[in-house]
Amino acid sequence: MDKSSISPEESFQLIAKTIQETKKRFEDNGHLFLFWGLIMFVVCLSQFVLIQLELYSIHWYPNFLYPLGAIYTFFYAFNKYKKKKMPSNLIGNILASLGWMLGLNLMILGFFFSNKLGEAIAPVFLIFMAFFICISGVTVKYRPLIWGGILLNLIGLAAFYFEWQYHSLIMAVGSVVALIIPGILLNNKRKRADV
Amino acid sequence: MFNDLDPILHSQLRLSIVSILMTVDEASFSFIRDTTKAAAGNISIQIKKLEEAGYIKVVKTFKNNYPNTSMAITEKGIAAFEDYVDKLKKYIYPQA
Repeated sequence: MDKSSISPEESFQLIAKTIQETKKRFEDNGHLFLFWGLIMFVVCLSQFVLIQLELYSIHWYPNFLYPLGAIYTFFYAFNKYKKKKMPSNLIGNILASLGWMLGLNLMILGFFFSNKLGEAIAPVFLIFMAFFICISGVTVKYRPLIWGGILLNLIGLAAFYFEWQYHSLIMAVGSVVALIIPGILLNNKRKRADV
Repeated sequence: MFNDLDPILHSQLRLSIVSILMTVDEASFSFIRDTTKAAAGNISIQIKKLEEAGYIKVVKTFKNNYPNTSMAITEKGIAAFEDYVDKLKKYIYPQA
């Protein structure tokens, strides 16, 4: 591969190609977005059904799927970055820190402070999630994530106008718009790039 | 023709290695090999040249009894890369 007589144009192309190739290796394959979208969809839809059945004492039980999801995410990230020796970079570190801080805080709010937040808990969750998804989309320059984040933000604000019994259903819709659809599109994009 | 261009960087594989290291905090030897798709022996030679020039720092450790080489770009390497890119621009767009 090594030759010294490369033209400036070739050098530029080489730099661009190498940086692109490195960035491609960092691109998430959409797996985690899809995974969290499905968890959120299952949790929220189950909660909605339990509320409709007036099983108020157990309607929050599906929330226990979230900590399980966090454990899976930890091992997934550990396997990807430590075992496979993937290097870290600034953008990846920022997004990972932001994601963990947001996820842990949302879980703490949900499990320990839901009574203080009252009916505002679902809209607040959606708005915070929208913030993270939008930032992720902007940093990796991926429009479905940006639009998913914007729509989720609007859904979160609109949720204030609905009765609390419908908040779980609204969150399930939000998970489809902001996580499941962008996750599938990101997966497909990665598969096409790998062909 | 391209005398002003840094001869350390003006080589395909060394330029690739430095380009990779410009985008990450540090990278393992295997990551460099997988990304450049070059032969391990060739990469070792180029890494040594870059290290001797002070453009990268190489850390050799052992992990589970296997050698583990990782490298990162230095301040000098960043400055050299930026200077190299500036000069490339002048070659390609001389009137700019």
